[in-house]
Amino acid sequence: MTFKHHGKTSTTNLKQRFFLWSSLILIGGGLLLSLLSFWNTRRLLMAEAMDKSEVILQEVEAIRSYVKKELRPKMVELHGKDAFIIEAMSTTYISTTIMKTFSQSMPSYVYRRASLNPLNPQNSADSFEEDMLDWFEEDPSRTFWQGVVKKNGEAFFISMVPDYFADPCMRCHGKVEDAPQSLIDRYGNTNGFRFQAGDLAGINSVAIPVSSSFRAAWQGSLVLFLITVPASLLLLWLLNLLFQRLVIERLGAMLSLMKEKKKEADTEQPGDELDALRASLGSLQQYVHTARKGSSLQPNFINGYAAGTPITAGAISWLYNGYTTTVEDREKVSIKIGFDEALQNPLYRACFETELNLFETLFHPCLPKFRDRIGDVVILNAIEGESLSCLFGKGPLQDPLVQSIFSQLCDLTAHMHATGVVHHDLRPQILHFDKNKKLTLLDMGLASNDQQPDPITAAGLGPQGDFMYMAPEQIQGRRGDPRSDIYTIGVLLYLANTGKLPFSSKQRSMQKWALQKAKWVIQKEDKEALSPEMIGIISKALSNAPEKRYQWVEDLREDLEKIHSRISS
Amino acid sequence: MRLMIFSDIHGNLAALQSVLKDAAKRNVHRNICLGDLVGYGPYPNECINLVRNLKNCRCLAGNHDVATLWETSPYGMSKAAKEAILWTMDQLSSGNKAYLHSLPDRLDLEEMTFVHANPYNPKGWRYVMDRKYALRSFAATSSRFIFIGHSHRPLVISKKHWLTVSIEPITGNKEYEINDSRRRIINCGSIGQPRDNDPRACYLIYDTRKQTITFHRIEYNVQKTVEAIQHLNLPPVLGRRIFKGT
Repeated sequence: MTFKHHGKTSTTNLKQRFFLWSSLILIGGGLLLSLLSFWNTRRLLMAEAMDKSEVILQEVEAIRSYVKKELRPKMVELHGKDAFIIEAMSTTYISTTIMKTFSQSMPSYVYRRASLNPLNPQNSADSFEEDMLDWFEEDPSRTFWQGVVKKNGEAFFISMVPDYFADPCMRCHGKVEDAPQSLIDRYGNTNGFRFQAGDLAGINSVAIPVSSSFRAAWQGSLVLFLITVPASLLLLWLLNLLFQRLVIERLGAMLSLMKEKKKEADTEQPGDELDALRASLGSLQQYVHTARKGSSLQPNFINGYAAGTPITAGAISWLYNGYTTTVEDREKVSIKIGFDEALQNPLYRACFETELNLFETLFHPCLPKFRDRIGDVVILNAIEGESLSCLFGKGPLQDPLVQSIFSQLCDLTAHMHATGVVHHDLRPQILHFDKNKKLTLLDMGLASNDQQPDPITAAGLGPQGDFMYMAPEQIQGRRGDPRSDIYTIGVLLYLANTGKLPFSSKQRSMQKWALQKAKWVIQKEDKEALSPEMIGIISKALSNAPEKRYQWVEDLREDLEKIHSRISS
Repeated sequence: MRLMIFSDIHGNLAALQSVLKDAAKRNVHRNICLGDLVGYGPYPNECINLVRNLKNCRCLAGNHDVATLWETSPYGMSKAAKEAILWTMDQLSSGNKAYLHSLPDRLDLEEMTFVHANPYNPKGWRYVMDRKYALRSFAATSSRFIFIGHSHRPLVISKKHWLTVSIEPITGNKEYEINDSRRRIINCGSIGQPRDNDPRACYLIYDTRKQTITFHRIEYNVQKTVEAIQHLNLPPVLGRRIFKGT
């Protein structure tokens, strides 16, 4: 498994897997599409054949009915009871003769009258018709049959109906001695007699050849398949190219960075690039754990400063308590140290640089003052107090405390927004509150500045930070909207006033977090505990749609101040 | 949220101080300066320092600001303006030069666009005072409001239909209601060198909750600035202009 730097080609396991699975899916899809096309064409052909055969059978039945009810009685009336003129009085003779004429102009439609014991030997049933006669005889309720039958290598769609003897038929098909002499002269006295009324006389069938139509349908499906395969291969090539550009090359660049740092691990590891990345991140986590442990045991000296116990930890940097060593009176400071391993990643490096730039250029009482920078170490003024997460863990806060915290937080957020900065990651763990009621923000690693390109957006990364405090649009990956910070202040305001979080903190997917936030409404017990004005402020700040929220943090602050001035008066 | 918008200070420290004193009484939350901190006037460094230290303030670059950095040539300006720019170049501290260099030429904030001259070619410095350039400005952005300076004349241009606008020069102190859906170009006038025959410094406050824009005219010690201009041997015409407001 070899990786090359961004912009160059790389042959990798992940790419091969993607290619294999994409090929299987696309070719399988093409095959399925062709089969579905064939099945549908065949279904339509069968439906058409069914309609046509039914029309012809109905027509034959109409002819037979006319002979029985109109022609034959009229002939008896004209020529006497004993007369029998076969050309005008036999239903079978007339219907088969008419259909013979019909088949001269439509040779593909074959009409048959078949019987086991017919007067006319030409109407004798073949083996298939014998089987069908048995089938109809088994159950007289069976009145119709349709299906595809192969005869002499040709497929036919056949429709069949049974025909039963009635009383008037007994003159010609009952006893031989009752039969007209002209009938015996024509067909003899051996076949076609000794039936009773109600017996199965025979079957009338229409056969339509369908082989050529099925062949055409199959050829059409084959053509479709042959078109789909090259189109799929072209699509596959484009997808592969896209995958190479968007995923493989970037992943390769990241992995090559990690490999450079871990030169000792030259042996090939099993698995694809994602497995390698996971292994690298595992090792990074182990390193961070070791670093934290080491830092708590003894001070680390950095030029004129010494780092002591950690205050808070982030993904790319840690903040430590520290002090100066160059002056006689030790002066407390805080020291932000970027992790060398994490900062090898260009994305983390860009985030870290943005954060340092903000600490250096933003001036606000709630931000620790920037003092010095030594490589990836930043010296800030000392940070006192405890994190808001400790404070919020003790239950609902008193109004003066809420006022003090949120007045400062809103002022700080307004200052950031006014200078084009959106924090994106306000949470209790990075906000410290000291004895003098001073709030301090410790981390700005995920902040964006509207005058600089945003590294997280440029890298196409998804949401970064804690989903609990994150605005719904941030969960969807949007950044740079100051109203996202207003949402977060709404979450913190709820937490400060109720002592609990507005959302369930169970681990869940991004979609479930977004759904939970979209459905959030203030609970009944909170309505009783909070003032209507505070409920109004929290509900507005926690609106799912950014345009329904406070548009400016200053407006939220003004509304909060109105409540507090009313309470204090 | 109340947003203070001002422009074209042109080194007139007395005017800027009087405006900031007035705005401090009006509980403003944010400030936006639309450029031209320097040029014409005798106190370029002092004015830049005041604006730089103003809380929650963002500033854009104006044509005089970039001319002092030689990003555009001052020789295309009027004789008095050119002389003042060349003098300002020598006065500016390196820190303030770096600050002017860092200023952007356009800012978009929610439904607002801010530029010094016009949004379709911010560094072309074309005045937007008639229908043609107003329509071109509206077409250059989808923002509801376009705040500009540069002409030194307070003005509101409202878009009526596709090709028609109404142009309304603003005189004196005036509260302007904007609670309809019309798009507007709003010129905030000038602090340091008004040219609408009113020598008082001009700025405006946009109240996003009340949906009003209030133009304020502030009197200041003009004589003090004129004396400084004379003392520094800057072209005397600059003093006469701020006296008359032309």
